[in-house]
Amino acid sequence: MQLHKGYKMKQLTIVILFGSFLFSQTGIEIAKMMDDRPSPIDMSNKTKMVLTNAKGKTRTNAMISKSMDANKKQIIWFLEPKDDKGVAFLKIEHDEKDDEMRMWLPAFKKVRRISSKKKGDSFMGSDLSYEDMSSRELNENDYNRLNDDVVEGMECYLIEIVPRKVAKSSYSKHLTWIEKSTLVAVKEESYDKRGKLEKRKEFKFQKLKNYYVIERVFVEDVQKKHTTEVMFSDVQVDSGIDKNLFQEKNLKRIPRD
Amino acid sequence: MQTNYSNHPIRNWFIQQSLDHTRRTIIISIIATLIMGSGLQFFVIDDDMMKMLPKNLESRIAWDMVQEEFGSTEVIFISFGKKGQTVFHPNTFAALWDISVELEALQEIEEVQSISMTTRMDNYDGFMEIDDLQPDRNLTENDIQEIKGYLEKNPNIKDRFVSQNEDYLVAMVQPFEGIGLDQVRNELVAVVDPILQDYDIHYGGSAYITGTIPGIIRDDVQSLMKAGMLIMVVILLLNLRSVPGVAMVMMVIGLSLFAMMGFLGWVYRITGSDRYLFTLVNTSMPIILLTIANSDGVHVITKFFREMRLKGDVRNAVATTMDSLLVPIFLTSITTVAAFLTMILSPLEPMIGYGIAISAGITWAWLISSLMLPAVISLKKWDLESKAISMASTFEKLIDRLGRVVLTHPKYIFLLGLIMVMVGVLGFFKVTVDVNFAHFFKPGTEIRDSMDFMDEEMTGTMDVRARVEGDMKDPNALNDMTALQDFMEENEKISLSYSIADVVKQMHRTVMDDNPAFETIPESREKVNNLFTMYSMSGDPEDFSSMVDYDYNAGLITALSKIMSTDEIFSYVGRVNTYIHDKLKSDLKIHVTGMIVVFRDMVLMIIKSSALSIVFSLLVIGIIASIFFKRILWGLLAVVPLSSAVILNFGLMGHFHISLNHITAILSSIIIGVGVDFAVHYIAQFRRLSRTVDKNKLSREVMDDVGYPIILDAGSNMGFGALLFSAFLPIQYIGGLMVFAMLSTSLGTLTILSALTELLKKRLIERYR
Repeated sequence: MQLHKGYKMKQLTIVILFGSFLFSQTGIEIAKMMDDRPSPIDMSNKTKMVLTNAKGKTRTNAMISKSMDANKKQIIWFLEPKDDKGVAFLKIEHDEKDDEMRMWLPAFKKVRRISSKKKGDSFMGSDLSYEDMSSRELNENDYNRLNDDVVEGMECYLIEIVPRKVAKSSYSKHLTWIEKSTLVAVKEESYDKRGKLEKRKEFKFQKLKNYYVIERVFVEDVQKKHTTEVMFSDVQVDSGIDKNLFQEKNLKRIPRD
Repeated sequence: MQTNYSNHPIRNWFIQQSLDHTRRTIIISIIATLIMGSGLQFFVIDDDMMKMLPKNLESRIAWDMVQEEFGSTEVIFISFGKKGQTVFHPNTFAALWDISVELEALQEIEEVQSISMTTRMDNYDGFMEIDDLQPDRNLTENDIQEIKGYLEKNPNIKDRFVSQNEDYLVAMVQPFEGIGLDQVRNELVAVVDPILQDYDIHYGGSAYITGTIPGIIRDDVQSLMKAGMLIMVVILLLNLRSVPGVAMVMMVIGLSLFAMMGFLGWVYRITGSDRYLFTLVNTSMPIILLTIANSDGVHVITKFFREMRLKGDVRNAVATTMDSLLVPIFLTSITTVAAFLTMILSPLEPMIGYGIAISAGITWAWLISSLMLPAVISLKKWDLESKAISMASTFEKLIDRLGRVVLTHPKYIFLLGLIMVMVGVLGFFKVTVDVNFAHFFKPGTEIRDSMDFMDEEMTGTMDVRARVEGDMKDPNALNDMTALQDFMEENEKISLSYSIADVVKQMHRTVMDDNPAFETIPESREKVNNLFTMYSMSGDPEDFSSMVDYDYNAGLITALSKIMSTDEIFSYVGRVNTYIHDKLKSDLKIHVTGMIVVFRDMVLMIIKSSALSIVFSLLVIGIIASIFFKRILWGLLAVVPLSSAVILNFGLMGHFHISLNHITAILSSIIIGVGVDFAVHYIAQFRRLSRTVDKNKLSREVMDDVGYPIILDAGSNMGFGALLFSAFLPIQYIGGLMVFAMLSTSLGTLTILSALTELLKKRLIERYR
């Protein structure tokens, strides 16, 4: 009887300790856990992007994308709209210097290097900026854990991310909902420099091999009343993409696969 | 026992209410007025001029499409700097940054265009780089020189944002579509003035002017109206020589005004319709009601004094006065109400509310002067020896002389009147329309000086827009747009123009290693498309949203211009349309529009509807007078002085180059409102006296009886000549024309109508003998 009672006490102590350990996890610790999640070496997919403006008019783009090193190297070939077929884009991110961006303009038969010093600039007229698409450096932001929340039945950590000055962010803060079991962000709100809500984002992931890879992103710019839906299909991970693919010469020909 | 005051039961009932139930009548009148006037708590002043514009106007439809596709095209220009000192200084750019950021944070503002908010497009060693033209609030001397260098390379951008002498900067503020420009203007000034307190500031642009004018006009009219009323009181005092008499006239005016404003509030509260808002158009309403209510009061008081002189007994004098005036006051009221109710047919929403509300005010003035005024008169103990009652006034003596002249030479007087009307007809055809707000202000006034400054130093603040429908990636379409811009810029008043074609040319040059030879439209659609796609990868496509629509199926050409008159705009738009029709090669559909074009069309609409309203009013007045006076000839005679006055007034405007606009166009209403009173009073008295007075003395008697109140009414209304001192030219013109309208309507009645009745008296009085 005593033993039984002692066993129960032990069990309760473990639960409490584990619970308090979980609860005591700080924002930065959760962010680190996310960062430590395994990511594919390379990834390729077909992307469809639908932009809708406040008046309900839409623009649709389709492209093939191949990337490596957590998206730090990426090459995109445009398939749709018809006008854009053949245009291609190569991005290589550098830690110490400005990112390299090159574009193949088939009508001019020229590769042109482009540059944007503004992180807040939109990517291809979408509601996603280059900043939205880049991974956040842990040491450039402050992470505050708020009360946990439930999003569509999923138990989530709610983290407030405040970019530091060094991040040169175009936002004042983000609220990010991270699903507890998978450690992937399912929802995010980004606030502009004036503290007003600017974007509402929703993410859907699929499990492929051991990775959670993104399947759908929906972004609403609440100020411009503009939305972007990005859907990824034919996703392949760790397929052994050659690192030499990320070269200017490869922009000129759309890959068959 | 009830006393019999009149041989007509209705007149008798009215007089009984005033004389036998004096206090009850006064108390009921006051309570009813208080209830009606309490609607003032719901009375809403709305200075948003956009609500006036009819939505079915063709140019408005094109303009609305432009707003829908490209956002509000009505911008406010803010120019600031220090005369003679270069703007290329860190402090000036910090100030520009501050106002740009603060203004963009306002809920009412969609976009601010300034150097602080503009992007630059550069080519560095084959790099196409899109970046902020002003990278930060605080700039170094080097940053400033970088910006200056870029502006030198792109004069089109420099001309938009920097003055010719480089001593002023400009920011263009685009409000959200559908927000009241008065509200935008007030918010904007509240933000900008404190930030730029160390600089000279000039505001301009149609949105600013449209947002500013209604408030200024209202304040101006209100203060001048007070002066006008003071002059009115003085003229009435000098002639009536009785403070209580003048106070009683003012009581009729005050209570009617209170009731009318309250009515407008109640109807707005009940219906919620914008047509019952008090807008700029309604500014003239109090003036018109004042003149009409003044007429009712003056007729009763002067007739009462005259009867007191004859009868010496208050009750008797009041009874005779009202027995004689109840019908003409009712008739003048019903005809004026009918005339104003024709405004219900107006395409302009506020005009409908205007017609209904002023009709309510006129009806109230009729009730007060028919019931309450005689009751109040009967309560007062009048001194028979007072000058007011015992002696003729200056105006009475004047009318005596005028009567003698007119009735001795009726044919000459009629002929003279006819000649004047003919002169008026000639002037009628010279009337021009000018709705340009810039011309509302005299040179030397602050707002006009600001506009002149923007014209001389900057690009000008007027804009003409061309909405271009077609494939905005098609080189032919873009080349046509460039050709159209070149043609538009040929006019010396157009300082610059811009469109998506300019951006395509700039992108083309940048992609082609910044070679100026490539500042052209590329030869293929694919190339144009490549340029847009490339921009979308590095810049924000929203940068083009004010120049091209989301689908690239419509574009907007904006031409900035110095002040043009409406006639110049008519001619300019006509020439541009001819060029589009004859010279352009592609299948573009192009509509030239802009707020000024919409206003021009709106005023034409006002004029057309006013002309219709005048004709319809005259017809209604003629019919009502014919029915009440039981003869068509009387109906015709009732409209003679009115028609003459309308022709003379518009003729005078033509001869003196006074333009028609939405403010001066209301004159016809004043003329009809007041003029019909004079004619009806004259005819009613002529008919009444023709039953008892010898035909040789008839016209003389009528002239003596109604001539004085007509002249006194007209004379006191001339107090509104005070409007001549307005800072606004149209209000000045209203003041001058008001004086002339009073002269023409009163003298028209006392000369043309009296000469005609004298000439036709055999036919006119035959029936009653």
